Amino acid sequence: MTAESHDKRSPDRRSHDEIGRLIAALPPAPIGWVRAAQELPAARRAIEGILTRAVADAAYRRRALSDLESALAEEGIEPTPAVLEELRERFLSG
Amino acid sequence: MNDGEGASPPRFLILVRVARTAGSDAEIVARCRAGDAAAWNELVERFSRYVFAICTQGFRLADHDAEDVFQDVFARVYVQLGTLRSDESFRPWLAQLTRRTCIDRLRAGGRETPTDDLEPPGVDETLSRLDEALAVHDAMAELPDNCREILDRFFARDESYRTIGAALALPPGTVASRISRCLDRLKALLEETGDARRLEDG
Repeated sequence: MTAESHDKRSPDRRSHDEIGRLIAALPPAPIGWVRAAQELPAARRAIEGILTRAVADAAYRRRALSDLESALAEEGIEPTPAVLEELRERFLSG
Repeated sequence: MNDGEGASPPRFLILVRVARTAGSDAEIVARCRAGDAAAWNELVERFSRYVFAICTQGFRLADHDAEDVFQDVFARVYVQLGTLRSDESFRPWLAQLTRRTCIDRLRAGGRETPTDDLEPPGVDETLSRLDEALAVHDAMAELPDNCREILDRFFARDESYRTIGAALALPPGTVASRISRCLDRLKALLEETGDARRLEDG
Protein backbone atom coordinates (compact mmCIF):
# COMPACT_ATOMS: atom_id res chain seq x y z
CA MET A 1 0.00 0.00 0.00
CA THR A 2 1.40 3.41 -0.91
CA ALA A 3 1.51 6.30 1.53
CA GLU A 4 -1.04 8.12 -0.62
CA SER A 5 -3.55 5.28 -0.63
CA HIS A 6 -3.05 4.86 3.11
CA ASP A 7 -3.88 8.57 3.60
CA LYS A 8 -7.01 8.27 1.50
CA ARG A 9 -8.25 5.30 3.48
CA SER A 10 -7.37 6.82 6.84
CA PRO A 11 -7.85 10.60 6.85
CA ASP A 12 -7.33 10.60 10.61
CA ARG A 13 -3.74 9.36 10.21
CA ARG A 14 -2.30 12.82 9.90
CA SER A 15 1.26 14.06 10.24
CA HIS A 16 2.28 16.59 12.88
CA ASP A 17 2.53 19.25 10.16
CA GLU A 18 -0.97 18.56 8.95
CA ILE A 19 -2.38 18.62 12.48
CA GLY A 20 -0.57 21.91 13.09
CA ARG A 21 -2.07 23.40 9.94
CA LEU A 22 -5.55 22.32 11.04
CA ILE A 23 -5.10 23.89 14.48
CA ALA A 24 -3.90 27.08 12.78
CA ALA A 25 -6.95 27.11 10.49
CA LEU A 26 -9.10 28.22 13.43
CA PRO A 27 -7.46 31.27 15.03
CA PRO A 28 -9.43 32.98 17.78
CA ALA A 29 -12.08 35.49 16.78
CA PRO A 30 -11.48 39.01 18.17
CA ILE A 31 -12.34 38.94 21.85
CA GLY A 32 -14.70 41.92 21.55
CA TRP A 33 -16.78 40.10 18.94
CA VAL A 34 -17.04 37.03 21.14
CA ARG A 35 -18.06 39.04 24.21
CA ALA A 36 -20.69 40.96 22.24
CA ALA A 37 -22.18 37.68 20.99
CA GLN A 38 -22.14 36.27 24.52
CA GLU A 39 -24.03 39.33 25.77
CA LEU A 40 -26.81 38.84 23.24
CA PRO A 41 -29.33 37.25 25.65
CA ALA A 42 -28.78 40.03 28.20
CA ALA A 43 -29.05 42.63 25.44
CA ARG A 44 -32.34 41.10 24.29
CA ARG A 45 -33.71 41.21 27.82
CA ALA A 46 -32.57 44.82 28.17
CA ILE A 47 -34.26 45.79 24.90
CA GLU A 48 -37.50 44.16 26.03
CA GLY A 49 -37.25 46.03 29.34
CA ILE A 50 -36.66 49.38 27.62
CA LEU A 51 -39.57 48.84 25.24
CA THR A 52 -41.93 47.79 28.04
CA ARG A 53 -40.98 50.83 30.09
CA ALA A 54 -41.32 53.08 27.04
CA VAL A 55 -44.89 51.90 26.49
CA ALA A 56 -45.81 52.71 30.09
CA ASP A 57 -43.89 55.98 30.41
CA ALA A 58 -44.08 58.56 27.61
CA ALA A 59 -41.37 60.77 29.11
CA TYR A 60 -39.00 57.81 29.31
CA ARG A 61 -39.87 56.88 25.72
CA ARG A 62 -38.90 60.37 24.49
CA ARG A 63 -35.71 60.32 26.51
CA ALA A 64 -34.73 56.82 25.40
CA LEU A 65 -35.51 57.56 21.75
CA SER A 66 -33.35 60.66 21.83
CA ASP A 67 -30.41 58.79 23.33
CA LEU A 68 -30.53 55.03 22.71
CA GLU A 69 -26.94 54.56 23.83
CA SER A 70 -27.65 55.96 27.30
CA ALA A 71 -30.84 53.90 27.59
CA LEU A 72 -28.81 50.75 26.96
CA ALA A 73 -25.96 51.85 29.21
CA GLU A 74 -28.47 52.38 32.04
CA GLU A 75 -29.40 48.71 31.64
CA GLY A 76 -25.74 47.74 31.80
CA ILE A 77 -25.55 46.81 28.11
CA GLU A 78 -22.73 47.90 25.84
CA PRO A 79 -24.34 49.82 22.97
CA THR A 80 -22.74 47.93 20.08
CA PRO A 81 -23.91 48.87 16.56
CA ALA A 82 -25.91 45.62 16.27
CA VAL A 83 -27.74 46.15 19.58
CA LEU A 84 -28.40 49.82 18.80
CA GLU A 85 -29.77 48.88 15.40
CA GLU A 86 -32.10 46.31 16.88
CA LEU A 87 -33.37 48.71 19.55
CA ARG A 88 -33.91 51.41 16.92
CA GLU A 89 -35.83 49.01 14.68
CA ARG A 90 -37.97 47.76 17.55
CA PHE A 91 -38.83 51.37 18.54
CA LEU A 92 -39.73 52.23 14.96
CA SER A 93 -41.80 49.11 14.42
CA GLY A 94 -43.59 49.59 17.78
CA MET B 1 7.15 10.58 30.67
CA ASN B 2 4.46 8.07 29.98
CA ASP B 3 1.84 9.77 27.83
CA GLY B 4 0.02 6.53 27.19
CA GLU B 5 0.50 6.77 23.43
CA GLY B 6 1.83 3.29 22.94
CA ALA B 7 -1.10 1.18 24.04
CA SER B 8 -4.54 1.31 22.42
CA PRO B 9 -7.35 2.00 24.88
CA PRO B 10 -10.21 -0.51 25.09
CA ARG B 11 -12.80 -0.02 22.36
CA PHE B 12 -15.63 0.84 24.77
CA LEU B 13 -13.53 3.73 26.12
CA ILE B 14 -13.00 5.01 22.59
CA LEU B 15 -16.73 4.86 21.95
CA VAL B 16 -17.50 6.64 25.21
CA ARG B 17 -15.10 9.42 24.19
CA VAL B 18 -16.69 9.84 20.76
CA ALA B 19 -20.18 9.75 22.23
CA ARG B 20 -19.21 12.46 24.71
CA THR B 21 -17.83 14.71 21.99
CA ALA B 22 -20.75 14.11 19.66
CA GLY B 23 -23.29 14.47 22.43
CA SER B 24 -21.93 17.63 23.95
CA ASP B 25 -23.12 19.90 21.13
CA ALA B 26 -26.64 18.58 21.60
CA GLU B 27 -26.36 18.99 25.34
CA ILE B 28 -25.23 22.62 25.08
CA VAL B 29 -27.94 23.39 22.53
CA ALA B 30 -30.59 21.89 24.81
CA ARG B 31 -29.32 23.91 27.77
CA CYS B 32 -29.31 27.10 25.65
CA ARG B 33 -32.90 26.45 24.67
CA ALA B 34 -33.76 26.11 28.35
CA GLY B 35 -32.35 29.61 28.94
CA ASP B 36 -29.05 28.61 30.56
CA ALA B 37 -26.79 31.68 30.22
CA ALA B 38 -23.61 29.72 30.90
CA ALA B 39 -24.49 27.32 28.07
CA TRP B 40 -24.91 30.23 25.67
CA ASN B 41 -21.47 31.55 26.62
CA GLU B 42 -20.06 28.07 26.06
CA LEU B 43 -21.76 27.72 22.69
CA VAL B 44 -20.41 31.07 21.48
CA GLU B 45 -16.94 30.22 22.79
CA ARG B 46 -16.96 26.82 21.12
CA PHE B 47 -18.09 28.00 17.69
CA SER B 48 -16.75 31.56 17.51
CA ARG B 49 -13.56 30.50 15.68
CA TYR B 50 -15.52 28.41 13.20
CA VAL B 51 -17.95 31.22 12.30
CA PHE B 52 -15.07 33.72 12.17
CA ALA B 53 -13.08 31.44 9.84
CA ILE B 54 -16.02 30.87 7.48
CA CYS B 55 -16.44 34.66 7.19
CA THR B 56 -12.77 35.52 6.74
CA GLN B 57 -11.30 32.45 5.03
CA GLY B 58 -14.29 30.96 3.22
CA PHE B 59 -15.87 34.22 2.04
CA ARG B 60 -12.88 36.53 2.50
CA LEU B 61 -15.02 39.26 4.03
CA ALA B 62 -13.36 42.49 5.14
CA ASP B 63 -13.15 43.00 8.92
CA HIS B 64 -16.19 45.26 9.26
CA ASP B 65 -18.36 42.94 7.13
CA ALA B 66 -17.07 39.87 8.96
CA GLU B 67 -17.92 41.45 12.32
CA ASP B 68 -21.47 42.28 11.22
CA VAL B 69 -21.98 38.76 9.85
CA PHE B 70 -20.49 37.22 12.99
CA GLN B 71 -22.94 39.12 15.24
CA ASP B 72 -25.82 38.48 12.88
CA VAL B 73 -25.13 34.73 12.81
CA PHE B 74 -25.15 34.43 16.59
CA ALA B 75 -28.25 36.62 16.84
CA ARG B 76 -30.01 34.29 14.38
CA VAL B 77 -28.77 31.24 16.25
CA TYR B 78 -30.20 32.67 19.47
CA VAL B 79 -33.57 33.38 17.91
CA GLN B 80 -33.84 30.28 15.69
CA LEU B 81 -32.40 27.65 18.04
CA GLY B 82 -35.95 26.55 18.81
CA THR B 83 -36.56 25.67 15.16
CA LEU B 84 -33.59 23.29 14.94
CA ARG B 85 -35.03 19.85 14.16
CA SER B 86 -32.26 17.84 15.74
CA ASP B 87 -29.80 19.12 18.32
CA GLU B 88 -27.24 16.68 16.91
CA SER B 89 -27.29 18.54 13.59
CA PHE B 90 -26.28 21.87 15.08
CA ARG B 91 -22.91 22.05 13.29
CA PRO B 92 -24.14 21.65 9.71
CA TRP B 93 -27.03 24.00 10.51
CA LEU B 94 -24.61 26.63 11.85
CA ALA B 95 -22.33 26.23 8.83
CA GLN B 96 -25.28 26.67 6.46
CA LEU B 97 -26.60 29.66 8.41
CA THR B 98 -23.19 31.34 8.35
CA ARG B 99 -22.79 30.62 4.66
CA ARG B 100 -26.20 32.13 3.84
CA THR B 101 -25.49 35.18 6.00
CA CYS B 102 -22.17 35.74 4.22
CA ILE B 103 -23.93 35.50 0.84
CA ASP B 104 -26.62 37.95 2.02
CA ARG B 105 -23.84 40.34 2.99
CA LEU B 106 -22.15 40.09 -0.37
CA ARG B 107 -25.47 40.57 -2.11
CA ALA B 108 -26.23 43.62 0.04
CA GLY B 109 -22.94 45.02 -1.24
CA GLY B 110 -24.77 45.75 -4.47
CA ARG B 111 -23.81 42.73 -6.52
CA GLU B 112 -26.78 41.54 -8.55
CA THR B 113 -25.34 38.19 -9.46
CA PRO B 114 -26.50 34.60 -8.97
CA THR B 115 -25.66 33.07 -5.60
CA ASP B 116 -23.13 30.68 -7.12
CA ASP B 117 -21.18 33.62 -8.53
CA LEU B 118 -21.15 35.40 -5.18
CA GLU B 119 -19.34 32.52 -3.52
CA PRO B 120 -15.57 32.80 -3.81
CA PRO B 121 -13.88 30.01 -5.76
CA GLY B 122 -12.96 27.02 -3.61
CA VAL B 123 -15.40 27.86 -0.82
CA ASP B 124 -16.62 24.25 -0.54
CA GLU B 125 -13.08 22.98 -0.09
CA THR B 126 -12.33 25.70 2.48
CA LEU B 127 -15.45 24.91 4.49
CA SER B 128 -14.69 21.21 4.39
CA ARG B 129 -11.20 21.97 5.69
CA LEU B 130 -12.67 24.12 8.47
CA ASP B 131 -14.90 21.20 9.49
CA GLU B 132 -11.78 19.06 9.80
CA ALA B 133 -10.09 21.81 11.79
CA LEU B 134 -13.07 21.99 14.15
CA ALA B 135 -12.80 18.24 14.74
CA VAL B 136 -9.11 18.67 15.58
CA HIS B 137 -9.99 21.46 18.03
CA ASP B 138 -12.61 19.14 19.59
CA ALA B 139 -9.91 16.56 20.12
CA MET B 140 -7.66 19.25 21.61
CA ALA B 141 -10.34 19.91 24.21
CA GLU B 142 -9.71 16.38 25.48
CA LEU B 143 -6.05 17.13 26.15
CA PRO B 144 -4.71 18.35 29.51
CA ASP B 145 -4.81 22.15 29.90
CA ASN B 146 -1.05 22.59 29.49
CA CYS B 147 -1.07 20.76 26.14
CA ARG B 148 -4.15 22.54 24.86
CA GLU B 149 -2.73 25.93 25.77
CA ILE B 150 0.69 25.42 24.23
CA LEU B 151 -0.68 24.03 20.96
CA ASP B 152 -3.21 26.83 20.70
CA ARG B 153 -0.61 29.51 21.41
CA PHE B 154 1.89 28.13 18.92
CA PHE B 155 -0.37 27.19 16.01
CA ALA B 156 -3.64 29.11 16.30
CA ARG B 157 -2.29 32.30 17.89
CA ASP B 158 0.99 32.13 16.00
CA GLU B 159 3.09 32.96 19.08
CA SER B 160 6.86 32.41 19.00
CA TYR B 161 8.75 30.01 21.30
CA ARG B 162 10.10 33.09 23.09
CA THR B 163 6.62 34.56 23.71
CA ILE B 164 5.22 31.23 24.84
CA GLY B 165 8.23 30.60 27.06
CA ALA B 166 7.81 33.99 28.72
CA ALA B 167 4.07 33.47 29.25
CA LEU B 168 4.42 29.95 30.64
CA ALA B 169 7.79 30.42 32.38
CA LEU B 170 9.46 27.72 30.24
CA PRO B 171 12.82 27.72 28.42
CA PRO B 172 12.41 27.80 24.59
CA GLY B 173 13.86 24.28 24.28
CA THR B 174 11.20 22.96 26.64
CA VAL B 175 8.51 24.77 24.66
CA ALA B 176 9.60 22.96 21.48
CA SER B 177 9.72 19.53 23.10
CA ARG B 178 6.38 20.03 24.84
CA ILE B 179 4.74 21.05 21.57
CA SER B 180 6.08 17.89 19.95
CA ARG B 181 4.91 15.69 22.83
CA CYS B 182 1.47 17.32 22.85
CA LEU B 183 1.17 16.81 19.09
CA ASP B 184 1.89 13.13 19.67
CA ARG B 185 -0.93 12.95 22.20
CA LEU B 186 -3.31 14.81 19.93
CA LYS B 187 -2.42 12.57 16.99
CA ALA B 188 -3.11 9.49 19.12
CA LEU B 189 -6.46 10.94 20.18
CA LEU B 190 -7.43 11.68 16.59
CA GLU B 191 -6.51 8.16 15.56
CA GLU B 192 -8.54 6.70 18.42
CA THR B 193 -11.62 8.74 17.58
CA GLY B 194 -11.18 7.94 13.88
CA ASP B 195 -11.10 4.25 14.78
CA ALA B 196 -14.16 4.69 16.94
CA ARG B 197 -16.10 6.42 14.18
CA ARG B 198 -15.30 3.58 11.80
CA LEU B 199 -16.52 1.13 14.44
CA GLU B 200 -19.73 3.12 14.89
CA ASP B 201 -20.27 3.30 11.13
CA GLY B 202 -19.88 -0.44 10.99
